[in-house]
Amino acid sequence: MSNMDHSEAEIDNLLRRSLAAPVPSLPPNFKLRRPSERPRRILLASYGLMSAAVSIVVMRGQGLGWGLIAAMTLGPLAIIEAARRLRRKQWEM
Amino acid sequence: MARAQRGDEQAFAELFRRHGDPVFRLALSILGQGFTAEAQDVVQDVFLKAHHALASFRGEAEFGSWLYRITFNQAVNVKARARYRRPHLDEAALSHATTTEPGPHAQMETAQRDQALGECIQTLPEVYQSALRLYYWLGASVAEVAVLVDVPENTAKSYLHRARQLLGAMLKERGY
Repeated sequence: MSNMDHSEAEIDNLLRRSLAAPVPSLPPNFKLRRPSERPRRILLASYGLMSAAVSIVVMRGQGLGWGLIAAMTLGPLAIIEAARRLRRKQWEM
Repeated sequence: MARAQRGDEQAFAELFRRHGDPVFRLALSILGQGFTAEAQDVVQDVFLKAHHALASFRGEAEFGSWLYRITFNQAVNVKARARYRRPHLDEAALSHATTTEPGPHAQMETAQRDQALGECIQTLPEVYQSALRLYYWLGASVAEVAVLVDVPENTAKSYLHRARQLLGAMLKERGY
């Protein structure tokens, strides 16, 4: 900050004086609110189960076999789980 | 970082211990004096978001820079709402009591100039305001300002330089 011209140095002084005030800090007893993951997971799992059940009923209504229905319902879940494991493995490397 | 990503709450608490205060100071630098409670709310919101997004970071450096970016945006949003709720305490208001200039006339002049300076600061771009408050009020070094506003050190230096130039021009225009 040494290469200031005169007027900039004046503003510098003015700012130092004008903005001088006590600096607050986080109170020592400051506690982070922690979100509970449980309700979110329950909601997500319920939604997943409901949509799987509806899909199975609809697919069965269309005359599809149980093998195909199982593959179409469990396939995406297997892909998600595989991607999750792959990602976790990458973090650990 | 890796421990926090695996759900270790102690490790997340350690991340908070390291980054909590810088996040609070950055939020304050955007919100200004008299907005301590709002800055604390920003800290809560930012760490809540961080907790949700924890798995997507590659390391603490990336986490820190993401945290400060989120803090900046969150504080700017809160500032817009906070201003609407109640008038912003100008920068000068708190320093009036500590003025050492003699005589009521001199004090009045100082108060008016400080008031004008506070108003001028409010018209600067957010990043300049933040850099100024971090440097002049919160006592951060240029290097710390650079880390918190997530720019190289030379850019932080030029923010401060440009902010001073703009303030000088604005005050001159107002006759100070």
